[in-house]
Amino acid sequence: MLKFIFVSWWRIYFSIKSTKFITKKLKLYLNEQMFIDFFYSLKNAGIPVSPTSFLTLQKALDMRLINSLGEFYTSARAILVKSERYFDVYDQIFAYRFEGVEMPEYEGIEIDDISMAMLEEWLKDPQALAHALDIDETELNQLTPDELIEYFKARLRDQRGRHYGGATWIGTGGTSPVGHSGHHPGGMRVGGVSRNKSAVKVALERRYKDYSQKGPLTHELISEALKRLRNMIPVGPEDKVDIDKTIYQTMKNCGEIEIVFSRSLKDRLKVILAIDNGGWSMDPYIPVVQTLFDYARDQFKDLKTCFFHNTVYDVLWEDPERSNKPLSVENFATFDPQTRLIVVGDASMAPYELMAADGSIYVKERSGKPSIGQLKFLAQIFPHCAWLNPVSSQMWDYTPTINTISQIFPMFELSLDGLEEAVRHLMAQ
Amino acid sequence: MARNTLNEKFSGATRYVLDDELAGIVNVSMALEMPLLLKGEPGTGKTMLSHAIAESLAMTLIVLNVKSSMKLVDALYQYDTLTRLNDSRFGDSSRDVSNIEDYIKMGKIGQAFASEKRTVLLIDEIDKADTDFQDDMLDVLDQMEFDIIEIDKTVRAKRRPVIIITSNAKKDLSDPFLGRCSFHHIAFPDPKMMRKIIAVHFPDIDSNLMENAVSTLYRLREIDNIEKKPATRELLNWIRALKSDPDFKPKTLAKGNIPYLGVLFKKSQDYKRAVEATSSSRIF
Repeated sequence: MLKFIFVSWWRIYFSIKSTKFITKKLKLYLNEQMFIDFFYSLKNAGIPVSPTSFLTLQKALDMRLINSLGEFYTSARAILVKSERYFDVYDQIFAYRFEGVEMPEYEGIEIDDISMAMLEEWLKDPQALAHALDIDETELNQLTPDELIEYFKARLRDQRGRHYGGATWIGTGGTSPVGHSGHHPGGMRVGGVSRNKSAVKVALERRYKDYSQKGPLTHELISEALKRLRNMIPVGPEDKVDIDKTIYQTMKNCGEIEIVFSRSLKDRLKVILAIDNGGWSMDPYIPVVQTLFDYARDQFKDLKTCFFHNTVYDVLWEDPERSNKPLSVENFATFDPQTRLIVVGDASMAPYELMAADGSIYVKERSGKPSIGQLKFLAQIFPHCAWLNPVSSQMWDYTPTINTISQIFPMFELSLDGLEEAVRHLMAQ
Repeated sequence: MARNTLNEKFSGATRYVLDDELAGIVNVSMALEMPLLLKGEPGTGKTMLSHAIAESLAMTLIVLNVKSSMKLVDALYQYDTLTRLNDSRFGDSSRDVSNIEDYIKMGKIGQAFASEKRTVLLIDEIDKADTDFQDDMLDVLDQMEFDIIEIDKTVRAKRRPVIIITSNAKKDLSDPFLGRCSFHHIAFPDPKMMRKIIAVHFPDIDSNLMENAVSTLYRLREIDNIEKKPATRELLNWIRALKSDPDFKPKTLAKGNIPYLGVLFKKSQDYKRAVEATSSSRIF
């Protein structure tokens, strides 16, 4: 049975408020050790509390700014906790430390982490884990990663119920019975249970994100990364005083003032964003590509977006449905070569789709030119181009078409680091 | 309104309903001389708080509205080269051309520093600026001084201003920034608090209207997929609109007939959804 006590916010709040402590008693309550414990329980619960802020809190106490537990509650929160996301956790820990309420277990966070780790183990070595869990491997094989995670979570909860504090039952630090096998680097990926391949890819993608502690690529992160992708050129009315030129001209006129105006600098970078929006293989990446697309639409004044499926044949499409507005690849030759071409796609397909003259999976597209030729053509027109691949770069070597395409287009991972690199490449002269 | 300028403790103002929690945080931040970072849904009174503090402590309020293109130096001071150039040519002003200091104008932060009396400095919507601006600004606020390069002079704050920073962003600000501020998140007020807020703004309001308006607001906030939910500001404006309509009767609200939806929902998508949601409830 689970022993989680969910203390709701108001309960703590009122229990604190109803008790009026006088300073003396408060000091008794807040002896040094208790204080330090409080700090560390906050830290352990994942709230980013800094020692400096802790000292600030001490200072506030020394200055006798805090005279009741209620005041301590609000002040400590304002000083230590810097995001409303942690307010709930703070409340629970506060209640535990100062009111003796039983320590809540961070079920959500912990079980998520552990089941993630289990999925990782499972992908490395399904047999060992199946054995450790005493389950049939083939049974688990039929589950999708999401189902697997759910299954692991259920198992963990079950396990915890029987051994209290059994959180280390399967650990990430190498003490678990399952352990970090290490000698199966991508065993599954190479050997290939083909049915599971796409699922494994999805799972590993997530695991990587989880591992890097970066979380999903949000709009803000993308905007941070792409901020440098600009081309400042003077536009608009001449209404900005150019001081240097004004002084120069004035001196030239023997002190007769001549004010020189110039245009202000504005960003006028031309960008073509080509997005692979076809087929199931891109499905897991829809959110991240969507975020990138949203940002691009806000940010770039001169943006052309087009779509394709898997790879480029004769045309790109201006409409996401890829049926009404074809844009012939040959036409791209008329565009400004300074345009930055950014292709977003997983570049994963059957090799013949890329190489064969009639490789397109759509019957209508039969011009006799293999896709690889078209890609080379595009890369040639636009020297400033980049291919953003949502697939984790660790996986690139396992898909031949990714390899081939990355020889044509400089390829970068669609992650924060990858974006930064891509921007650096795109802005290089 | 209890007001104690001697100890400079903040306890609320005439048009602002303050909860104890926030009052405590404001006072601690002031005592610790830390900027107070306020977050919360738009329209819950982040900006109003600094007005209230300034009013309650009888200090001047200086507002720095942060813009995306803003550079830190704009907030500190401006060197008016053109005027100087003009004066140097025609020399008919009272300013001394050889003294650059005559041509330095203080920006908002500069004004707050230069003021003889303690001021309240509101830095509104800090999230609009880029991270460089934020970090640089915090250095200035931390040191309580900045340099004017043109005249090689350091401006020190005469009296440390009370600094309130607001942010609408969902994203967190940078760690060094957060480390130097105290933080509070203004939650959306509960109905009880909301009634108090309305009573402060409309002392003579009919209780029937208040009840109906408050319950309607909380019901409207429940509608799904609304981008910008109506908040305190919208509610107050809406009540103002309702009160000015002589034909309006509070009873109609309870029936689900809601006039002036446009005051509450300002995005066209939200407005459409709200109209749909309210009109469908009218059928039943």
